[in-house]
Amino acid sequence: MEVIEKTKTENITKTESMIHQPIKISVQNLSAYFGKSQVLKNISIDIPEKKVLAIIGPSGCGKSTFLRSINRMHEVARGTITGKIIFDGEDVMKVDPVYLRRKIGMVFQKPNPFPTMSVFNNVVAGLKLNGFRNRKALKEIVEKTLKQAALWDEVKDMLNKSGANLSGGQQQRLCIARTIAINPEVILMDEPASALDPISTAKIEELIFELKKDYTIIIVTHNMQQAARVSDYTAFFYMGELIEFSDTKKMFTAPVKKQTEDYITGRFG
Amino acid sequence: MERHFEKEFEELKTTINKMASIVDEQVESSFKDMEDQGARLYKSVKQRDREVDAYDNLIMAQCENLLALYQPVASDLRFILTAIKIDSQLERCGDIAVNIVQRIKKTDNFRELIIQTDLPEMAKITRTMVKDAITAFINCDGELAKTIWVNDDIVDDLNKKIFNQLVEKIKSNPEVAEACAHLIVLARQIERLADHATNISEDVIFLVENEIVSHKKKLQDFHLPE
Repeated sequence: MEVIEKTKTENITKTESMIHQPIKISVQNLSAYFGKSQVLKNISIDIPEKKVLAIIGPSGCGKSTFLRSINRMHEVARGTITGKIIFDGEDVMKVDPVYLRRKIGMVFQKPNPFPTMSVFNNVVAGLKLNGFRNRKALKEIVEKTLKQAALWDEVKDMLNKSGANLSGGQQQRLCIARTIAINPEVILMDEPASALDPISTAKIEELIFELKKDYTIIIVTHNMQQAARVSDYTAFFYMGELIEFSDTKKMFTAPVKKQTEDYITGRFG
Repeated sequence: MERHFEKEFEELKTTINKMASIVDEQVESSFKDMEDQGARLYKSVKQRDREVDAYDNLIMAQCENLLALYQPVASDLRFILTAIKIDSQLERCGDIAVNIVQRIKKTDNFRELIIQTDLPEMAKITRTMVKDAITAFINCDGELAKTIWVNDDIVDDLNKKIFNQLVEKIKSNPEVAEACAHLIVLARQIERLADHATNISEDVIFLVENEIVSHKKKLQDFHLPE
């Protein structure tokens, strides 16, 4: 039984279970560079809509670069790419990056709420930046997104206090609320729970389960148990190459490639 | 640098291999006792059962430890799951070996009854099944494992045949009724031993090929209710 299908014409990789699913992002022969140094080598992956894809691999394997290529953050760091990333049928390199990042939000490893802003203003920062000023509508959005981010009950009485006063786990959920407030379609998460305690981590993982009803999520994680718990599909990267891409259950029970087995069982190197 | 996980994982492998070797010896001795009137291995089979029980507890503790501390995946996880299942099968095999020598002791004066039935043939096939199942597990040999369950049906048929043979004996000579009753139970125990060997071989397939083959035939057209 083949896990990865490579069509001859486009070299797209997809797992068996995603064959009939709508594809949100199609990464085609993506290579990424910093100067002359190549950090991603000819990656092709289809990412289905409203599913969670986990990217795993050792440090320096290109996980974060892959994530940052999708919303064109890679070029902000003066990186370049070849190949194509098709988002909803459009080549991301031909889309206005500001619009693109509105549609493809990002949550980072370290919670980074705007420290001088209140909880309320943190959530609506993106909207205000885009000229949205209707106070009543903003209030509704704050309540809705904080509820979606599973934070409303904890902060509803302190919306005017500084976001920096929240705990690390609450701050990260605030950042997720800020990301979803501008109504994206895809959320990129770069190690979203690695700086959090186990209870906050569990909350973030529960939240990812809830969020995938509405959003396509790509998560980079070093925590393999986390990848196994939250994702539908997993891709294993090593030294800039995609080694294996399969349904998460398959990846963690019966990986096809020896390199993958060695990595997930901790026998790497 | 040796990792803690690998050290503990190797310890589990060693423990279960030791347990399997003892059970193999117990089964060997119990059948030898059945074949050879002078063997009298009752005591040693029974004594070794305490070791088997101690290994049973140790393996459970080792598996619990590995699962709780290391959250293993893929082939490591399969080995631990298989170890838990095979540990329990081996422990039951040890108990059955004890039961066999007990029945033999109780029928000491009626040894000729055994050779008048198909019990020696049933014991011979079952002995090979247990030995092969243990070898398949120790060597992670899926091909050997697949040869084992074929014999399970033969052993089941022999059990039925022996039951009829012994019932006929009781009818024709009621004086041997008690001994025959013990031998009917003995045949049933050997049949259970073959079942455990089959279960172990199925677990080996899961370990080696990542395929669940237990109850496959029985569950062919069955679906759990939603």
